[in-house]
Amino acid sequence: MMVTNAINGLDNLGQFARFVFRSIAASVESCRKSATYPLIWTQMNIIGVHSVPIVMVTGAFVGMILAIQAYDQLAAFGAEEHLGVLINISVVKELGPVLAAVMLAGRIGGALTAELGTMKVTEQIDAIKSMGTDPVKYLVAPRVLACLLLAPFLIIFADLLGIIGGYFVSVIHFGINSRAYWTFSALGVELWDVAIGVIKGFFFGAAIAVISCYKGFTCKEGAHGVGQACTEAFVASFISILALDFALAVFFKAIYNTLWPVKSLI
Amino acid sequence: MIAEEKNNQAGSVDSNGVIVLKNLTKKFGKKLVLDNISLSIEKGKTTVIIGPSGCGKTVLLKHLIVLLRPTSGNVYLDQRRIDNLNEDELNQVRTRYGFLFQGGALFDSISVFENIIFPITQHYKITNWEEIDALVKNKLTMVGLDGFQKFYPAKLSGGEKKRVALARAIALNPELILYDEPTTGLDPIRSDVINELILKLQRELGVTSIAVTHDMTSAYKIADRIVMLHKGKILADGDADYIRNHPHPIVQQFIHGQIDDEDLLSLQSNETTSPSQFVSQNSKN
Ligand SMILES: Nc1ncnc2c1ncn2[C@@H]1O[C@H](COP(=O)(O)OP(=O)(O)OP(=O)(O)O)[C@@H](O)[C@H]1O
Ligand SMILES: [Mg+2]
Repeated sequence: MMVTNAINGLDNLGQFARFVFRSIAASVESCRKSATYPLIWTQMNIIGVHSVPIVMVTGAFVGMILAIQAYDQLAAFGAEEHLGVLINISVVKELGPVLAAVMLAGRIGGALTAELGTMKVTEQIDAIKSMGTDPVKYLVAPRVLACLLLAPFLIIFADLLGIIGGYFVSVIHFGINSRAYWTFSALGVELWDVAIGVIKGFFFGAAIAVISCYKGFTCKEGAHGVGQACTEAFVASFISILALDFALAVFFKAIYNTLWPVKSLI
Repeated sequence: MIAEEKNNQAGSVDSNGVIVLKNLTKKFGKKLVLDNISLSIEKGKTTVIIGPSGCGKTVLLKHLIVLLRPTSGNVYLDQRRIDNLNEDELNQVRTRYGFLFQGGALFDSISVFENIIFPITQHYKITNWEEIDALVKNKLTMVGLDGFQKFYPAKLSGGEKKRVALARAIALNPELILYDEPTTGLDPIRSDVINELILKLQRELGVTSIAVTHDMTSAYKIADRIVMLHKGKILADGDADYIRNHPHPIVQQFIHGQIDDEDLLSLQSNETTSPSQFVSQNSKN
């Protein structure tokens, strides 16, 4: 029993790896073919436009909550003017990207899985194949590219609103001097911090799309199968966002340390 | 008990057909669906596959275009083995086919018009849209649905979906067309229109057709050859007259739509179960 489970697990892993590889190859190829641009554009509209408000709301609340929670600790030793650094660095480096990605996984991942899963069980994916078209090229590549291109934008929106939310609570509610707030923020937050937050978006977006499409493609028969695939897609996307976040944090830290060895000691 | 047809013995299959199956076996997990089938499809002819529901007709048809891969055995197209090709190579091969799915498999997020031009847009760069409009009109007229271009599949009846799917399958004028139950769900007149269309495609364009059907009227009308599947094997194989006069009782029962004794018995044994045996959930006791 254990052995068959292990073999099945490995088999699925191999299948997933092959799917990832084919998706990447198809996406790269799509970039070079202008015929697929309209498909990517359609997906970007579906994915992007309607995700902006929810991502902005999330960002704003995160900024405001951080301000409320951190104020007392900093005020205790008279460092409340540093609140801006704390809020802004948390938002642009971690919370903005991760929460925007999680929102995207919930909003888009589920929809992608359900759409492709339904196409699978109604034989529409087989129909695409029967007409000599690769469903990975036609269905997966545009979705992966759309998610990959949009996730960084959504992160920028989340960051922006997080910063504004934090500012409102700090300056208007707690009455911190606005100028000091921004000066310390500017000193503490580097362009590098913002950049890695946004770059993470490419990875998160691609991971969400590939996982969700894979779950749709391997969906089991029936309404229950589609529902189950959506749940699995969200859980897998969520875990992989966190795992990627960790891996990228380690990676970027190493780069930072080699580029600016002295700064990291301060 | 069931004697296989002679020409279906392993190795003796004529390998000159357009599509040839050699010793094809398909299992889903432990379930054996196709059991060592060998079949050669002759070019330019219409082959009809009949058999009881669930006997593996759709599975067989999907192997002919390698939408399913055999558990063992081979599929050949023009003497070239195709069951082991990778997806890219297969896509090349599949442009020669048209496939009508049992459930239609129309793309439900795009209109009828876009469904029909899908195979065209995938393989050609469209420059002359008037020509495309005319082509779509022509294909839809063939299936009696001109004027439905702007409809979405969700708004069509079951039979209409089937016919749009047929129009899509023949959009690229394929040389091989696989029909999975082309007339199921259609009224008798529409069925006959589709029968005529299948015949016309064969006569005028020399198309090789393989049709799965339960509809014996349709089978007799279009078939050059009828193959009957039963329990994963080929039970009978020959022209319409041969099948009509086939001595095997299962073949006779099937083509005349007669229930066999076993099924009759199982129905009778259920007669003792009547609703009065069940206690209504609403009754207070
Ligand atoms: N993907 C699959 N996984 C598991 N079993 C399958 C699969 N596809 C088909 N089967 C099984 O194979 C058998 C044959 O199925 P198939 O669809 O070929 O029947 P059919 O002869 O076309 O029946 P019908 O006339 O009702 O369409 C069925 O018992 C079905 O349960
Ligand atoms: Mg079938």
